[in-house]
Amino acid sequence: MAEFFATLKSDFIKCFVTKNRWTFITEGLSTTLKITLLSCIMGIVIGLILAIVRSTYDKNYKEMHGGIGKSLLAVANFIANIYLTVIRGTPVVVQLMIMYYIIFAASDNGVLVAVSAFGINSGAYVAEIFRSGIMSIDNGQFEAGRSLGFGYIQTMLFIVFPQAFKSVLPALANEFIVLLKETSVAGYVAIQDLTKGGDIIRGATYETFMPLLAVAGIYLVMVIFFTKLVNILERRLRKSER
Amino acid sequence: MNDNIIKVCGLKKHFVGGTVKALDGIDLEIKRGEVIVIIGPSGCGKSTFLRSLNLLEKPTSGNIFFNGVDINDPKVDINTHRQKMGMVFQQFNLFPHLSIRKNITLAPIKLLKKPKETAEKEAMSLLKRVGLEDRAEAYPSQLSGGQKQRIAIVRALAMDPEVMLFDEPTSALDPEMVGEVLDVMKELAQEGMTMAVVTHEMGFAKEVADRVIFMDGGKIEEMGTPEEIFGNPKSPRLRDFLGKVL
Repeated sequence: MAEFFATLKSDFIKCFVTKNRWTFITEGLSTTLKITLLSCIMGIVIGLILAIVRSTYDKNYKEMHGGIGKSLLAVANFIANIYLTVIRGTPVVVQLMIMYYIIFAASDNGVLVAVSAFGINSGAYVAEIFRSGIMSIDNGQFEAGRSLGFGYIQTMLFIVFPQAFKSVLPALANEFIVLLKETSVAGYVAIQDLTKGGDIIRGATYETFMPLLAVAGIYLVMVIFFTKLVNILERRLRKSER
Repeated sequence: MNDNIIKVCGLKKHFVGGTVKALDGIDLEIKRGEVIVIIGPSGCGKSTFLRSLNLLEKPTSGNIFFNGVDINDPKVDINTHRQKMGMVFQQFNLFPHLSIRKNITLAPIKLLKKPKETAEKEAMSLLKRVGLEDRAEAYPSQLSGGQKQRIAIVRALAMDPEVMLFDEPTSALDPEMVGEVLDVMKELAQEGMTMAVVTHEMGFAKEVADRVIFMDGGKIEEMGTPEEIFGNPKSPRLRDFLGKVL
């Protein structure tokens, strides 16, 4: 037994203490969080725009008068649909590699490449989350806003979005957590995120157990933490309705 | 000054497909201060008609003049005209994410650019009128149906409208709550508000209406004072309808 712990201790020292190898983990973690946060923001912005285009089209297109507005909306909706089909129809690793080897071939800014790839990818999923939220709001809410004299955009802004946001918050948070785990493939294009950090230690020490378990543990703790955070936020938001 | 606040000419509404004619040529003038009650069997187009008065329902053809302006003209900014046409819905449609106070003050603050204090003061005096001044901080889900509908009326009144449209305001209410909403509406009528009301409450029509309109099959079948409509109905369909509901 004592022997086992002694081995464990020496393995631990070899993996994390010697040559300050723990910095691979901490620096990787900070890169992972940076990539996740930034691509989440980018995904929300892209997703919101796509959702507005698609739900506006679904709700209003038939009722609209012909003209520039109607044609523009049709074109925007068409582009949005292509975007969704392509992004959701191809693996994120392939998108990441296209971003790294083709689009940003001249750049060596790994975070920029990753944020672009994951942000664009996430945007497609967030768009559908937002759209389902907007469509879930009773049309009576919309009519009440319009009957008071609010325009289409104002009604969306003051009445529909706040309610839609509340109803999609759990799904949105889940998307953030998925994204956090999804960024672990960033190592494919030589970005040193948390997973890659652990992998570098593995390569340097020939120890598999310690570094991989540490990486898995850190992901797990983060996911549990963010899940808890979302639950608290959800409860806060729900309070206002009772 | 124009005596007619609303004038409707040849209003038609065909639903997609074209075969169903919800409105089949309606002509009507509503005078300032007049209370019009629209009755008729379900599916006769009375709600569609009311909802097309503020263009929530887009007519297929025809004109709707509000203060002399044809609001069915695509070039007209409908939003500014809707500010002057309050609407009350069957399902209340209060904003569940906002407190009662904010439900009422949202539009006056954002659209009429009223200072927050002024809007809130006016909201409180309106709430007092309907006996709900103590619920200003509550949320819609905490209110009963009758209270919600009274708040919905207040929300519309806060925009200081020239006409109020009521789309079956008591149909979603428990019977014991119908009275409190009708009382508010009666008071409003007595104060001289122009009102168009779609309802199944024949008692309200008899007591409050200046003119009762009976619609059937997307047309105005008969129109007259409550005495004429209820006391001496001419059209057989109106007689048939009244036989069923009275």
